[in-house]
Amino acid sequence: MANVLWLQGGACSGNTMSFLNAEEPTVVELIVDFGVNILWHPSVGLEIGAQVEHLLKDIIAGKVQMDILVYEGSIIEGPNGTGTMNYFCDRPMKDWVKELSAVAGYVVAIGDCATYGGIPAVPPNPSESTGMQFHKKQKGGFLGANYVSKGGLPVINIPGCPAHPDWITQILVAIATGRIKDVLIDEYHRPKTFFTDFVQTGCPNAISFAQKVDGGFGKRGGCLFYEVGCRGPMTRASCNRILWNRTSSKTRANHPCLGCTEPGFPHHDLAKGSVFKTMKYLGFLPKDVPTGVSKLGYYTRAGVEKVMGKVEKVFGVDQEHFETSK
Amino acid sequence: MSTIKELNISPVGRVEGDLDVKVYIENGVVTRAHTQAAMFRGFEKIMEGKDPQSGLIVTPRICGICGGSHLYCASSALDTIYKTKLPPNALLLRALGQAAETIQSIPRWFYAIFATDMANKKFANKKLYDEVVKRFAAYVGTSFQSGVTASGRPVEVYALFGGQWPHSSYMVPGGVMCAPTLKDITRAHAIMNQFRNDWLETTWLGCSIERYRKVQSWDDLMAWVDENDSQRNSDLGLFIRASLEFGLDKFGQGCGNYVAYGTYLHKDKYNNPTVEGRNDALISPSGFYNHHTKKYSPFNHLDIKEHVTHSWYADQGGALHPWEEPLPTPVTSQNLEHTNFNEKYSWAKAPRYTGLAAEAGPLSRCLMYANPANLPHQTKDFLIKDAMDKMGPSVFLRTLARVHEAPILYQLIDQWLKEIDLDGEFYIKPEEKDGKGFGATEAARGALAHWVEIKDGVIKNYQVMAPTTWNVGPNDDGGKSGPIEAALEGIEIEDANDPVEVGMVARSFDSCLVCTVHAHDAKTGKELSKFKL
Repeated sequence: MANVLWLQGGACSGNTMSFLNAEEPTVVELIVDFGVNILWHPSVGLEIGAQVEHLLKDIIAGKVQMDILVYEGSIIEGPNGTGTMNYFCDRPMKDWVKELSAVAGYVVAIGDCATYGGIPAVPPNPSESTGMQFHKKQKGGFLGANYVSKGGLPVINIPGCPAHPDWITQILVAIATGRIKDVLIDEYHRPKTFFTDFVQTGCPNAISFAQKVDGGFGKRGGCLFYEVGCRGPMTRASCNRILWNRTSSKTRANHPCLGCTEPGFPHHDLAKGSVFKTMKYLGFLPKDVPTGVSKLGYYTRAGVEKVMGKVEKVFGVDQEHFETSK
Repeated sequence: MSTIKELNISPVGRVEGDLDVKVYIENGVVTRAHTQAAMFRGFEKIMEGKDPQSGLIVTPRICGICGGSHLYCASSALDTIYKTKLPPNALLLRALGQAAETIQSIPRWFYAIFATDMANKKFANKKLYDEVVKRFAAYVGTSFQSGVTASGRPVEVYALFGGQWPHSSYMVPGGVMCAPTLKDITRAHAIMNQFRNDWLETTWLGCSIERYRKVQSWDDLMAWVDENDSQRNSDLGLFIRASLEFGLDKFGQGCGNYVAYGTYLHKDKYNNPTVEGRNDALISPSGFYNHHTKKYSPFNHLDIKEHVTHSWYADQGGALHPWEEPLPTPVTSQNLEHTNFNEKYSWAKAPRYTGLAAEAGPLSRCLMYANPANLPHQTKDFLIKDAMDKMGPSVFLRTLARVHEAPILYQLIDQWLKEIDLDGEFYIKPEEKDGKGFGATEAARGALAHWVEIKDGVIKNYQVMAPTTWNVGPNDDGGKSGPIEAALEGIEIEDANDPVEVGMVARSFDSCLVCTVHAHDAKTGKELSKFKL
């Protein structure tokens, strides 16, 4: 049994929408069968207005136990550190979050905005948005680098824009069923169980990546890394192992991975030439190379593969792996 | 002696961002209302000077529930700037994404956001109350779980083509990223069929989609309800009977003007996208309808202006068309309690069409389906217009319009899936250019548009106007109310400690916002009561 309070700050509700798609378990099962008691949630909470304010005050006063604080959306600190660009129950949301974090058993930040600041924190960051315990890659954020919840953990980050519903529900179930000690977190506070392998793990175009065969929009087959900016080789997430909406993933639908589970998304802060284009070094080498490979090593290997592929084509070798049939 | 009260309600909407409402009550009747959007993120400002395609990534993240709709606008706006060529498959796959997102929203909104209010104790003395509670109560209602679970099905179809829902960017200028295969199409058909079997025909309609589509007038609908037990006892049948018993057809009229930008660009009629050619290429028609004069007029985006006199942005020298508007410069905001409503009081701007406040949403869309000027390829449906003529707008009619679209959309999705040509193109790479563009659609909750200017290869101006902006916007420069403000005026509040009527009106607009309630004495401003359910 775990009491959960879910709040939204500088949010689009995308993580809530994603959460409502959950399958294993469904949201209703989570509540009815897994002992997750939602004290309040902005979309599916029943209380309104002063009732919510009372609840928040009761939690802060220790009259109601809050085992998990789920936070979605950026912490809005603007203008000038006041947080008044985001009022909730007549106070800046950030003030509620500060007091609630002090009494929370565990704090779970959901989605890129809550974890690392996300899109609202892209310069010029008009709302002075930041993440719960990180600002992009920088540890600290709103609660500070040293924050730990009553349960003894820092903020557990479930990034993604949005986070996958199963990442959310399964971490809630893990806490509710007393398995919190099995939740190991990495340097960016992500549960390792979901964020150790790369998006590329399980991508159907992995072989095209290995053989350096380019894909592109509106085509079947080929790798999106070289021309349209796919970040699958340097993004840790289980998107191609735990599929989205039961059916798919970005790269399975020929959509370049945006790297949204890595702090810093949107990468290169949306600079000209960074959106759905692979940023190049010397005009032809990808500027960002796969994680765990040196630039020099990568360029050398990639160069050989590219040349070999072209030579094989000239000699009429069938490249059967790379074209998918309709 | 008359009693005057003020009621401050913060959060009202149950979806995203925060909406606060202040209503002034005299003898139990709302005499004036103000809506306050309570959160600012500055997405338009963030895009200034950035890559021209930034809108494809950034704008879907404005709203998690309408991300596909933002993407439809962002890609369309760039199409009009780049003068792209769009293959029929691309137009079909974009329309499919938009329709999948909207049909998803119907059960999700109805059960999670709206119907739980019908289970409020305010209606406990009504005959159908027990049945309503049994089915619609949050979490434990017998239809709640199946409805919320079913709402996940259509977006699985979205994910087949877009990779995931929410927050895909698969629509790009020149077409779409994906090139589906046969198994994607057959799977999409199977998933939609599951949606029909699990919820739409069984739980919701109690009859076939084809039978329901024969309902074309209010009398038809009443006859449909009484035709058999299956229809009478379906969730739609119960919703209709309970709404009429609970009096939901009696309040929340609104401003009486309706705007729709239309959507679903026809696969063979928009292959060379232009702003001028858009109206005639739409399947779901655009338009403006004035309920007072009963007149339709064609939609022209140049007739839209935004007012900021009562919005927390620096004054911009009068109401402006979005292409002429500056990027927003925020000014100091206040909380609800300390707001002076004669001055600036909301983060929402106030859009006006030919100077008039107008309601956006399914009610507007359904009125356009009955426009006699519609072209042969455009959706025609007459139920909502007939009901409007007979009973006028209300919380009930707004909600009926929203759910009425489910069978219509199901049939369109089925047809478009059949029309995809697996041997055809999906994307034609465009040449990037500078210029001004306009992209629009109908999000589930109404008219949505982006106005974009690209200069020197980067974004110079990006203006987003959401349906919620139309509906929750504050007073305009002339002090005239926005649509939700107008819809709240005149309603009776039975219990100021639990003003469910205010919530229902706001939620009937599906305003994607959240809301809290304090009751205040008008004269002293003192809080009258604090309460718990």
